[in-house]
Amino acid sequence: MAPEGKSPRLPEAGQWPDRVAPAALVAGIVLTTVGFLMAFLWVPPVGGASVGGAELIGDAMVSQKLLLSQKIFYFHMPVAITSFIALVFGAWYSLRFLRTREARYDTCARIALEITLLFIALTMITGEMWTRFEWGVWWSWEPRLTTYLVLMLVVIAYFVLRGSVDEPERRAAFSAVVAIIAFIDAPICFMVTRLIPSSIHPVVLREGGMSPEMGLCVAVVAAGMLCVAFALYRARFRQVRLAQRVEALKEELGD
Amino acid sequence: MAEREKQERARRSDAPASPRSELCARPSALEQYRVLLMKDLRQELRTKEMLVSMGIYALLVIVVFGVALSFARPGADFLEVSGGLLWALVVFTSLLGLNRSFSHETENGCLEGLLLAPLDRGVVFLAKATSNLAFLAIVEVIAVPLYWVFFSSFAAPAASAPLIVVPLLLGSVGIAGIGTLLSTITASTRGKDVMLALLFVPVVFPLLYACVSATTAALAGGVLMEEAFATSLALAAGYDVVMLLASWVLYDFVVS
Amino acid sequence: MNPILADIYSTILPSAPYVIAAYALLWVALLAYVLVIARGQKRAEAQLMLLEEALADRQAKGE
Repeated sequence: MAPEGKSPRLPEAGQWPDRVAPAALVAGIVLTTVGFLMAFLWVPPVGGASVGGAELIGDAMVSQKLLLSQKIFYFHMPVAITSFIALVFGAWYSLRFLRTREARYDTCARIALEITLLFIALTMITGEMWTRFEWGVWWSWEPRLTTYLVLMLVVIAYFVLRGSVDEPERRAAFSAVVAIIAFIDAPICFMVTRLIPSSIHPVVLREGGMSPEMGLCVAVVAAGMLCVAFALYRARFRQVRLAQRVEALKEELGD
Repeated sequence: MAEREKQERARRSDAPASPRSELCARPSALEQYRVLLMKDLRQELRTKEMLVSMGIYALLVIVVFGVALSFARPGADFLEVSGGLLWALVVFTSLLGLNRSFSHETENGCLEGLLLAPLDRGVVFLAKATSNLAFLAIVEVIAVPLYWVFFSSFAAPAASAPLIVVPLLLGSVGIAGIGTLLSTITASTRGKDVMLALLFVPVVFPLLYACVSATTAALAGGVLMEEAFATSLALAAGYDVVMLLASWVLYDFVVS
Repeated sequence: MNPILADIYSTILPSAPYVIAAYALLWVALLAYVLVIARGQKRAEAQLMLLEEALADRQAKGE
């Protein structure tokens, strides 16, 4: 998301990613709209509980209840994927900070983690709505929601930690370490809740068995969401850099 | 290793008797580890302050659980929750222990002194983690039988119950490892204890999940045991390896 | 309507508010973040303006 050649050039506002960002935003909006339409108009609906008989709808025999609520999935999964990719970038910038001790990378990492938090919140919102309708309760300790909750707590802890350390160098070092731990922890969280058979609490995995049309729709929306996330990252980065440069000027002028 | 020590001793005797040259002779990593570990253990065993408070805290948590369960009917269902309750006990007690073990260092300025000496940071981490593990293990040896004593009236555990030692061990190793890293970070922040809990609980979640699963399987026995025990232990061990490695590597950045 | 068809379509109307809410809240959250960025930008630009004025004052006084 930022140019890093062999020369010690730091990511800065106004470089080539900023020129790409508006185009990315438009591309993201177009892609997500296309995906939205695809989800509702093109992908065949997924069936839920069976009904008493079978009826001919369109040109297929349908013998299950058709689910509208499942359509939430086509935005829920892409948003989750985007949040994880944002976390990857956050960990990457944290690693670069630990290697070079340049405060700029700390800024990049912080913004990447903000984007992560935003998209995890989106995941939780869409997941909540889906769960609420499917199961009739506001929360169930099923693996997906629990994993995202834990991840959200780690990212929130990251920001609380940043708030409670005053010295900039230390703050940056500590948050970089926490970001890397969060990045390592996330896949383990995913695996643990899926691999351990829970016969007490039946696990319902809905993502299993995606048809190609579903996969294509998810991919389109995911690409769109990634573009949107990138545009948001660059916008935020520009704003934060502006504020930082203004602060630096202020200090130099001695106001 | 003996060769190196001989050479170091020779260097030491040749050099002028100034404090500077004493510091320059670097003992091997194993010796550093041993010295640091002994220091921590000896300090604690002298006062026993932290162990006693952790033990009493564990007892208090058991009392709270007793009150919480006072209207639950005893029956075989209790075995399903018992594993989880035991781990809740371990997590709370270890949070207390991790906080206190670091408050010693920061209170007396030991940490700064430790960092001035040319020690390998990874060794400092391993020594601290081992001492934390030792204290946690001692408290668990007291707390787990205590837990059984207080709650054995609810349900009798299955024959595979003694196997809970394995998840307890694996979990304690993981908790000590990542807990040492996190408590080092939070020791110098504003909201020390709360900050540690905030970071610790989500990061340790996968380990907790796996260990609770394994413990419940061991306590309940039967079909649950066959299905979940081995997988959970494998995952807990995997977590331990990954997180210990990560903590060991990252400890340098946290302490400098 | 044939009762089986009615059954097949039975979950659609009740679930519609949740589906709409999910998508709507998604975009609301994204817009909220954009507002955060915009607010930060405005503040930074206001500070910049103040600095420019202060610099101009200083230069005027210097001469």
